[in-house]
Amino acid sequence: MSNEHIIVGLEIGTSQICCVVGDLRSDGTIRIIGVGTAPSRGVRKGEIVDFETAGTCIREALVDAEEKSDVMIGAVYLGVSGAHIESFNNRGAINIPEQRDEIREEDFEDVQASAREVSIPSGNSLLHSILQHYYVDGQDGVLNPVGLLGRKLEADFHIIHGVTYRIQNSIRCVKEVGPEVLEVVFNPVASAQVVLDQNQKSLGALVVDIGGGTTDFIVYVDGVLKQSGCLPIGGDHITNDISLGLRIPMARAEKLKIGEGSAIVGASAPGDMIVLKDETGFAGREIEREMLNTIVHCRVREIFELLKRRLDAAGNVSYLAAGIMLTGGGSQIPGIAQLAEEIFAMPAQLTFAHAVSGATSAFENPRYSTAIGLIKYAAALQPERPKSLFSRVLRKLSFLWSWIF
Amino acid sequence: MISLDRNRATAARQDLRIAIVGLGGAGSTVLDRLVLDGLSGASLVAINTDAQALAGSVAAEKIQLGRSLTRGLGAGGDPEIGFLAAKEAVGEIRAVLADAELVILCVGLGGGTGSGGARLVAELAREQGAKVVVVATLPFTFEGRRRAEQAEEALAAVQRDADLTMCFENDGMGDAVAPLAGIQDAFSAADQTISQAVRALAGLARRRGLMHLGFDELATILRFPSEAAPRCYFGFGEADGANRANDALARALKNPMMDKGRLLDGAPNVLVNVAGGSGMTINEVQILMEALNRHVGEETRILFGVAVEPQMGEKMSVTILCALPADPAVVRLQPAREIAIRPASTRRAEPESAIEEPAAPRDFPEPTEETADFPPADDELEHLPVVASAAPVPPPKRTEAKQEQMLLDPVARGRFERSEPTIVDGQDLDIPTFLRRNVKVK
Repeated sequence: MSNEHIIVGLEIGTSQICCVVGDLRSDGTIRIIGVGTAPSRGVRKGEIVDFETAGTCIREALVDAEEKSDVMIGAVYLGVSGAHIESFNNRGAINIPEQRDEIREEDFEDVQASAREVSIPSGNSLLHSILQHYYVDGQDGVLNPVGLLGRKLEADFHIIHGVTYRIQNSIRCVKEVGPEVLEVVFNPVASAQVVLDQNQKSLGALVVDIGGGTTDFIVYVDGVLKQSGCLPIGGDHITNDISLGLRIPMARAEKLKIGEGSAIVGASAPGDMIVLKDETGFAGREIEREMLNTIVHCRVREIFELLKRRLDAAGNVSYLAAGIMLTGGGSQIPGIAQLAEEIFAMPAQLTFAHAVSGATSAFENPRYSTAIGLIKYAAALQPERPKSLFSRVLRKLSFLWSWIF
Repeated sequence: MISLDRNRATAARQDLRIAIVGLGGAGSTVLDRLVLDGLSGASLVAINTDAQALAGSVAAEKIQLGRSLTRGLGAGGDPEIGFLAAKEAVGEIRAVLADAELVILCVGLGGGTGSGGARLVAELAREQGAKVVVVATLPFTFEGRRRAEQAEEALAAVQRDADLTMCFENDGMGDAVAPLAGIQDAFSAADQTISQAVRALAGLARRRGLMHLGFDELATILRFPSEAAPRCYFGFGEADGANRANDALARALKNPMMDKGRLLDGAPNVLVNVAGGSGMTINEVQILMEALNRHVGEETRILFGVAVEPQMGEKMSVTILCALPADPAVVRLQPAREIAIRPASTRRAEPESAIEEPAAPRDFPEPTEETADFPPADDELEHLPVVASAAPVPPPKRTEAKQEQMLLDPVARGRFERSEPTIVDGQDLDIPTFLRRNVKVK
């Protein structure tokens, strides 16, 4: 198997490290060959806090993925998250040089550069600048301005940036283990690739990826990325709340959250008790189900309320016709979609990566959305290079053609 | 002042004559409940204006009030009528209470018979030379402001003649049941709590423990600087089996009035009585007390008693009682000293002093004398974790009525203790949401 078509996505999450190996086939489809996971340690709120330990865990996940896919992993696409990552929309503008009226391909890069130039804090680096719209001489709705005549080309970009050192920490940690990092991708940008289809993007949708340490979100309106961000609250916080509220150890709280917790209050019968059994079967303690659910409910409600506030501030809430897509490990809490619907007053559903082929049923789990999304993201980049080169030549030819005649 | 014959009191300890009086509708219900739960060794007296309700009572002795005044109907929620009706039956009440040494008066305040008659019954009992303990319940808030005011007036009145007043808020006991449960369950939960409290009281009075708790300790619990009767909170748990010490405590704390033990944190004094069969080991008592200590504040004094009762067999029981000052909002309802209903009583020369120390053990034998007759049988038990059995009572400390909430100490960050805090709008999001929003998690 040629290594050229192998794409590897690596997500260093707070609760698990997930490494997905995919094969990009010539017809453009992606086949998932193997998924390696390892429980994550040394990561808090999506960021590495213990370099050594995190490195060990990354190695475990990579080895697991190599064993399962029978592929040597040489380079990865790395997903990052963390509260330091911020985003905003910015418009870049250039004037077309005096001597020509037609907008050419190279103008794109100039306009993108002009959009990037602005106001990223000095310690930060750019992660993504994603095109939203073009304007030619103030006229919007231009899909592809190449070949159009105009004096001024403007373009809106969604700029995502983060603190340089923190991003470099993640990259270094992976490099220490072995593989090269081809590109760094903000997690929700990756998960949106597999969670949303083009139709949903056009209608307008919110993707909420509730992970272990962070809740990442991304908003698409009119088919373009409008807003993205990261709340440093996640499933870990729910577990922590349960642990503190019920005075039980974290490990026990985690089990309880996964096995029994629900985000809906008032649904359990009064006096419905959960018996906590020790490993030895000793000292069984009883916990009221309603109490557990109240704790989970409060936290999840707060996450959604914070998100809603962020969306409200950007004025995006009323444009989400396709509703909310919930993904990530934290979305597996029962009743979470119902709660999201209640708070946002729009339909919400659970989703996972489904736009890939292969042994997917095993990976149809919201926990893998980001890592699989990384592959999809990478795949979208791959064929573009030869194709764009080809089209450029073609365009040059056609230009020549028109010039001749 | 009536003085009690001390010799008689101590000699008759083993066989203390207790009369439990249920006055009014609520009082009678408590009596029924007591019989259901099985109480022996006390005479039960039901007193009511409502003849029909009285006929349905299981008490051995019944007194109908106001035969000519209300003609077998109830007092209609009017304390004035309740009082006048009770006055008609003064002779009968005297006769019934004649040889009682301890009268436990159960009464639900706020209505007619209970609010009106309580003071009179207490006074009569006192004149007979009995100790009087009033176990009163205050109406639910939803019963209305008028009833709350009547209850507060009656409480202030009855307090003067009672040696001890234990006052329970129905509201607190109503929390016992889930919000979805029927109103009947709410009332029955209240009755059950009162019944347990009365049983525990009778038990305290009769038992001669290895480490005895008596009325003086009870008085300490109930002593507060404020004039209004403090609100009592009570938990009782009984269990058998291998883990009976922990189970019994857990059940006692599970009583909703205890709020999972959180409430104990605010009480200046907590009374704990542990009773068990002869098989109860010192280790179990220690386990239990250590577990309990985790729930009480550092400043809290624990008044601790142990009693061995062979008839309990394999069982072990824990009684926890504490009192907190009345909710300031409720205290405001209390009228001035002048009580509307004043029976013609010239007996008391200085009622003011009685109010200042509502629960002082005025006529009771000293604790040391009580226990002196029964030295601990087993010397090994001497190193039990006694916190206070004969220690001088510290000056009453003003405790603020505490709102139910956990302290927002740094511990609340849990595993995010050392991580970078996530501050949004001035709130540290790492602290559990339910804590920051004061959501009550039982």
